[in-house]
Amino acid sequence: MVTPAPTKPPTATKPTGPAQRKPRAMSGTGGRTAALFLTPFFTIFALAMVAPVVYAIVLSFFAQQKSGLGFGEAKTAFVGLENYLQVMQSESFVGGIGRLALYCLLYIPCMVGGALAFALLLDAAVARARKLFQLLVFLPHAVPGVIAALIWAYLYTPGVSPIVSVLETGGISLNFLDNQMILPSIVNIAVWEWTGYNVIVLFTALQAVPREILEAARVDGAGEIRAAISIKLPLILPALSVIMLFTVIGTLQLFTEPSIISKATASVTSTWVPNMWAYDAAFNRHNLNQAAAASIIIALMAAVLSWAVTRFSSRNKA
Amino acid sequence: MKRRQLLLGAVSLMASAALITGCGSTPAATPTPTPTEDPTGTITFWSSMAGMDKVAAAFNASQDKIKVNFETIPNGGAGGYAKLSTAITAGNGPDVATIEYPQLPQFVSNGQLQPLDGYINKAETVDKLSDETKALVQFGDNTYALPYDAAPMIMWYRKDMLDKAGVSTPTTWQEFEEAGKKLKAVDPEAYLASFNPNEAALTAALSWQAGAKWFGTEGDSWKVGVNDEATKKVATYWQKLIDQKIVKVQQSFSDEWSADLASGAVVGVLGANWSATGIQKRTEASGQKGQWIAAEVPNWGSPADAFYGGSSFNITKSSKNPAAAAKFIEFLATSKDAISARGNTGSAYLAFPGLTPIAQQAFDASYFGNDIYSVFDKAYSTITPGWQWGPNWDITNTALKDAYGKLTSGGKVLEAVDTAQSATVAGLKQNGLSVKE
Repeated sequence: MVTPAPTKPPTATKPTGPAQRKPRAMSGTGGRTAALFLTPFFTIFALAMVAPVVYAIVLSFFAQQKSGLGFGEAKTAFVGLENYLQVMQSESFVGGIGRLALYCLLYIPCMVGGALAFALLLDAAVARARKLFQLLVFLPHAVPGVIAALIWAYLYTPGVSPIVSVLETGGISLNFLDNQMILPSIVNIAVWEWTGYNVIVLFTALQAVPREILEAARVDGAGEIRAAISIKLPLILPALSVIMLFTVIGTLQLFTEPSIISKATASVTSTWVPNMWAYDAAFNRHNLNQAAAASIIIALMAAVLSWAVTRFSSRNKA
Repeated sequence: MKRRQLLLGAVSLMASAALITGCGSTPAATPTPTPTEDPTGTITFWSSMAGMDKVAAAFNASQDKIKVNFETIPNGGAGGYAKLSTAITAGNGPDVATIEYPQLPQFVSNGQLQPLDGYINKAETVDKLSDETKALVQFGDNTYALPYDAAPMIMWYRKDMLDKAGVSTPTTWQEFEEAGKKLKAVDPEAYLASFNPNEAALTAALSWQAGAKWFGTEGDSWKVGVNDEATKKVATYWQKLIDQKIVKVQQSFSDEWSADLASGAVVGVLGANWSATGIQKRTEASGQKGQWIAAEVPNWGSPADAFYGGSSFNITKSSKNPAAAAKFIEFLATSKDAISARGNTGSAYLAFPGLTPIAQQAFDASYFGNDIYSVFDKAYSTITPGWQWGPNWDITNTALKDAYGKLTSGGKVLEAVDTAQSATVAGLKQNGLSVKE
C-alpha cells in the first residue's frame, strides 16, 4: 500500500560498499550471541513442549493389556494405530467434536463480532470516556476462567440465581442448564470472558491506522460508519486474523468452563468436549495410551485449523 | 484379545473370590510376614476426610517410632482419585491412602496397592469384621485395605412435612410412592426427595438393596449385570417417581439442591449415615431444627439395605515403608483413640466393632428429631450380602452419570442403566479383561 513507501529509500541506501563486509562480521558474533540468548528458550521448549509431545506420540502406539479378571500385572504391548481407531470410533469423542463445531459456530461470530463492534466504537471520533470503557470492557478478562465459570454456574442455577428468578417473575421460565440451553450458556461465558481481551487487540490495531488516510476519507465525504467499514476494517485485517487464529486454537482447548459447569448440571457429561474426553480417559478410565492418542488428534485438529485460518487470511490480504 | 496370557495368581486368587471370605485364616504364599518387629520411620498419609489431621497428630503423639505427615487432598468427585492414581503411577504417591469401596478394586487391579497380609495383625483386625465389610476389602486371598466406615444407606425426611401430608414414615417403596402422592396433594410444589444423576453409587446402592449384582466373577471372567432384573425393577420404579414429580432430578451437593432443602421444596434426602452434617448445614438457617429424622430406606417387602459410601485405608505401591504404614492403618481403622481424636466431624458409622459408640459420643445429634444412631444400627443389620464392586468402577460411574444427563430432556432411567451396562462391558473388554454378560 501507500504507507511503507516513505521509509524505503533510507534502508535501501544503507548497504553500500564498505558497509557490506560489516554485516557478515556482525552475523558471526551475532549468531553466537543469538545462540546464547536462544538457548534457554529452546532448552525449555524442548523439555516442556517437544519431549511431552514425543512421549505422548510414543504412548499412543502402546496399550496396557490385562487378562482374565485383571488382577495380575498388566502387559504393555505395541498396538499400532489401534488407540487412534478406538478414539475415532468412540461415539462420545465424535459427539464432542460435533458439539465443539456447534460451539465454534455460535461463539466465533458472537465474540469476534462483539469485539470488533466495541473496538470500532471506542475508536470512533465521538467516543467519550474512552479509557473508562476500555477498562470496563476488559474487566471480565481479568477474572480467572475457573472463577468466571463458578460465578456463571451460580447465575444459571435455578433456585439460587437472581437472573432466573427475575425472569420467572416476568413469566419467562428458562433453564439455562438443560440440554438445549447448555451450549449457548457456555458460549455466553466464553464471550463474556474473551471479548474484552480481543477488543484491546483490535483497538490497538485501530490506533495504528494512519490518521491521514482517515482524514482523506473524511474529505472525500465518508461518514464514521463508511470510514469504519471501508478504511479501518481492511487495515486491521491482520490483527483480525491473529485473533481468529488464537480463538480457533483456544476453542479446541475448551475445558475449564464445561468441567466446572458439570458440577451444577448433568447436561454436561464427563466427555462433553474432546479435551474432557482425554481427561476422562487418562484420569477416570486410567487409559493413558488412549488419552495420548486423543490428545494427538486434538493437536492435529488445531494444527490443521490454524493452517486453514492463516492460509485464508493471507490470501485475503493479497 | 490375549486374555489367557497371565494365568499366574490372578485366576486362582479371584476364583476363590471375595465372596467366600470365611476362609481368611489360610496363610497365603505371601512373603515377609514380620509383624513382630517394631517398624520405624516417616510416612505420608493422604485423605480428603475432615479431621484426619487430628487423627494423624494423635498417632504421632501416642508413640515416637513412626512419624506421620498428613496431607489433605480433594475428594474423589473433585479429582482426588485422579491425583492419587497419577501420583502412585509416577512413584511419588503417599504411603497411606484413603479409597472408597467402589474404587478399591480398580486400584488393586491397576497394581497400585500393596496387600496388607504379613504387615497387619489379621486376628486383631480383619478377622473381627463382618462378612459384608470384609467382602469389600479382600480380593482373592489378599486383604488390600482396612475398612474405616461402613455406611448404610439411610432415608432422611422432614417429619413435619410427612405429618402435613398425613403419612407415617414409609417402610416399603410402595408406601414411599403413596407418601409422595399425598405430599403433592397438600403441597403441589414439594418433592419427597431428589434423584441424583451425579451419584451413580446411589443407583448402585438402590439396586444392591433390591438384590442386584452388578459385578461378579465366574471362573476367570467378570460377570457384569448393571442392567440385571433387580436393577431394571429399581430403574422403572424411579422413573415412575420422576414422571409423577414425586422426586426432583437434581445434582446432590449442588447449589440448587442446597437451596431446595433450605426452602422446603425438597423434603427428603436419600443418603447415608454421613448425610447428617450436610443436611444440618443446609437447613439449620431456615429453622428446620428438630424436624429432620433418619429412617431405614423403604424396601421391596422385607427389610434390606446396602452400603452407600464409606472409605478404606490402604498402603500404596509407592510406600517404601509398608510395615510402618500398616501400623498406622491399624490405628486408623481399629483404635478408639483415632475415633475420639477426630472429634465431631460427622455422624460416622464404623466398620470395626466397638468403635461406633465413640463416634456417636463425639457427634452432636441434637439437631435431629429422632435417635439417628439406633436407625443406623437397624439399617446396618439388614445389609444385603453378596455385593461386589467391579474392576473399573469409573467406567460404569461415568457412563451412568452421562446417560443420566439426558433425564431432563426425555431420557429414561432404564435406558441409562442399559447404556451403562454396554459401556462397562465394552470398557472392560477394551482393557483386555474377560467379560461375560
